[in-house]
Amino acid sequence: MTQESVGVGPTQPLGEAPAPSPRRERKAALLVAPEGLIARHRGSGVMARTAVPAFRTTYGFISHNFPAIIMIGILASVLGVLAQGGPTLMGNQMRNALVLGAIYALIAIGYTMVYGIIELINFAHGDVFTLSGFYAFLIADHFGINKLAASSGFGLLVALVVIFAVSMLLAGITGVLIERVAYRRLRDAPRLAPLITAIGVSFLIEGFMLAFFGPDNVTTHQASWINGNAFTLGAVAVRWTDLFVLGMALVLMFALGAFVTRTRLGKAMRSTAQDRQAALICGININRTIATTFFIGSALAAAGAIIYSINYGSLKWNLGFHVGIIAFTAAVLGGIGNIVGAGIGGFLIGMIYVFGGSLAGGAWSESLIFAILVLILTFRPVGLFGVDVASRS
Amino acid sequence: MNRLLRAFFRPTQKITATGVYTILVIAAAAMVLLGWFLPWFVGPFSEGVGFSPQDAISTAPTGIGTILLYVTGVCMLIVLLSPFVEFTLRARHRALDVRWDMVRAAASVVGLVLTVVVWILVRWINEEPLFGALPNGITTDSAVWLEMYGFGLAAITYGLKRLVLERPNVMFVVGVLPFGVLLPLMFHQAPAFVLWATQSLAIYMLLGLGLNVVVGFAGLLDLGYAAFFAIGGYACASLASPIHGVHISLWMLIFIGAAIAATFGAILGAPTLRLRGDYLAIVTLGFGEIIPDLATNNVFGLTGGPNGISGIDKPVVGSVNFGFNPQWFYWSLLFFSVVVVIMLLNMQRARIGRAWVALREDEVAAAATGINTTTTKLLAFAIGASVSGLAGAFYGAIVSIVSPDDFQFAVSIAVLSIIVLGGIGNISGVILGAFVLTFVIFWALPNLQEWSATLGHTFNVPAISGIDFTRYTFILYGAALIIMMLFRPAGLLPSRARKVELESGIESESLAAVQGRA
Repeated sequence: MTQESVGVGPTQPLGEAPAPSPRRERKAALLVAPEGLIARHRGSGVMARTAVPAFRTTYGFISHNFPAIIMIGILASVLGVLAQGGPTLMGNQMRNALVLGAIYALIAIGYTMVYGIIELINFAHGDVFTLSGFYAFLIADHFGINKLAASSGFGLLVALVVIFAVSMLLAGITGVLIERVAYRRLRDAPRLAPLITAIGVSFLIEGFMLAFFGPDNVTTHQASWINGNAFTLGAVAVRWTDLFVLGMALVLMFALGAFVTRTRLGKAMRSTAQDRQAALICGININRTIATTFFIGSALAAAGAIIYSINYGSLKWNLGFHVGIIAFTAAVLGGIGNIVGAGIGGFLIGMIYVFGGSLAGGAWSESLIFAILVLILTFRPVGLFGVDVASRS
Repeated sequence: MNRLLRAFFRPTQKITATGVYTILVIAAAAMVLLGWFLPWFVGPFSEGVGFSPQDAISTAPTGIGTILLYVTGVCMLIVLLSPFVEFTLRARHRALDVRWDMVRAAASVVGLVLTVVVWILVRWINEEPLFGALPNGITTDSAVWLEMYGFGLAAITYGLKRLVLERPNVMFVVGVLPFGVLLPLMFHQAPAFVLWATQSLAIYMLLGLGLNVVVGFAGLLDLGYAAFFAIGGYACASLASPIHGVHISLWMLIFIGAAIAATFGAILGAPTLRLRGDYLAIVTLGFGEIIPDLATNNVFGLTGGPNGISGIDKPVVGSVNFGFNPQWFYWSLLFFSVVVVIMLLNMQRARIGRAWVALREDEVAAAATGINTTTTKLLAFAIGASVSGLAGAFYGAIVSIVSPDDFQFAVSIAVLSIIVLGGIGNISGVILGAFVLTFVIFWALPNLQEWSATLGHTFNVPAISGIDFTRYTFILYGAALIIMMLFRPAGLLPSRARKVELESGIESESLAAVQGRA
């Protein structure tokens, strides 16, 4: 066995005494065959022969059944919370998870769209999220929208329409601007260059927000816009805000789905994502299509940010960093480049964050998400429903 | 040893010759200018820069003193303005006449001599009638030291221009290393500056050198580099402080820290082996967030929670307690930096370095030529991390307290900015980048704030006095990264291979188009 593992078995004449040490065996082998032809095994052959296939099998099993494992994990944590705090806690946490998941889903879609079309992890996306939250905050405070929202039901409706429309527009323009200034020049540069630029854009935006809004939490006044409970299920109170948040997120996502699948521009986007050169040959305006992608992604992030401030009532300059990574994890979980996957991934990550955090303690929830991210990328980089992007390019 | 030195100084390994020449010219001019006006630059907010030629002029000297000072001033102007003249001419594809080099060299020597003369007259003879009424009790001379160094550097650069162009590495070492060694002596009366040089410059230089292995040599973007820094720092902290009652010498700990960090580097590297560049970036980023999180949550009771570990031992060598003499930290860090630089230069040329380059350029082709991509990648991670672990152990001993806040994402980005600014993959560039960035971020910005506060009070403009310049740190990081990547992707001091790679976007694009995988 040992002989074979160092590759001298077949070349040694029969009957000759086996060499006592592996070192001498290799020397002997060198005499009879060029080095390149010898199968080289380092370390103990027995260990390698048993451990490596076992490792491969385990890896393959986990990789293959990754969606199931994630689902079982989530289910187990839900049940754990149920056992820990009864149905009330579980219901409350489920509500929180859905709301949080809706926000993550909206941001994750932006990541996944941009990645799908130009294969760039847009690090600045999380900060566009925060920035558009601040846009909404400034608009609401400086143009009397807050008062309008407090005045009557109709006023609230007008206020919501105005704030969503204007902030999403501004955020979209910001996204297009970022793409134009920072990314377009580097579209064909080596991969490291746009990635570093994206980090630079992220820090630039964070720096501006830090300079303008200070290092502390900024209280937005949109938390008081929608009041009261819609209904209670047992002891679980569902607020109108929760319903609004979920409804808004779902409406936007379905609208996006319709846009991508039904319209000419959506078709252009899909084809550009598939093959930019071929799309160019077909007469698609690549620059405009990519700009549109950035516009939509950023606008959705803005919607997420407004929802966030309606729900939580405060913003901070570096919020986008953590929210961004979590949303990115959601996008990876759903398979990056896959818009539906990002939506579902967002909700799943929301559940992992809330239930896992509830079980392990709030201080661990972010570490948990990062660990999940590492696990996904280790075992199943394509995500739950992704196409095989890891091997692409 | 001879072979080592020859390898280090081999002219074929030069960074672009004009690059080193430019650096030396600019450095000399900056030092002369700074030395002349140092009290103006730092006077309002820093003690211990003392006398400078400008002080002597502003006290209305008479007779021979005037002549001395004004001749020195003319020399300073020549040294100061000649880079502008030269670079303007070069921009028009014309060269400066060789005679002018001699004139400039002569002016530098005269300036050097006169500075020494003026310094001796003022400092030691205290010639009242020559120099008007200088304030009494001048004890410090950082400005004069800087002035002399600047003139000396200018004299070497202009006088030995051919040598600088032919042997840039040697001359870079000759020109810059003495400054590095002498820095604590030159600023011995400004402990804040020495502390900056130790705690920011030297540490970040080491970090930059380490990250350069991962990002520059092997082309693996690591956004969680602060994690290894944290590991080194916490290793030092927990093995040399009262928290666990273990007290190991720092000189053992730096190797322990490096080894632990290298192990973690390999562990982190293992799951990312199959991943492409940008995924790798994200995984490392996640890892970089997990480590401070673990420290905050006081995992296994090792890390002391959010407050970190305090009371880390200071090393004592003979009769020198490093705690009271931070310049010894600086010198040991400098020593280890030089060791690391020599190690990395050799590594870059060795089999492993070439394997990294091959991996960076094309992984599939590298594997096809028989490079074991797994071990090569893991080695890059481990070696990069070990340098960072060493820096971390030193950091713990220097500041004597480590807490999770010291190792946030901004640290990773600062190190990344250093190597992007200086030149990805180029060791001289990393050193330059570390100097520029840490000077701006950790010295100029905090002091600018104090300075503007004084200015605001003096001229009664509250708007100026209230500016918090440290808030703009993030904007500076971001702007540095974006501007460098857009306009000079190979950095201030580009490495040649990297420059070709980063600036050949068009060719690689058409190649990609031909292969149909764009």
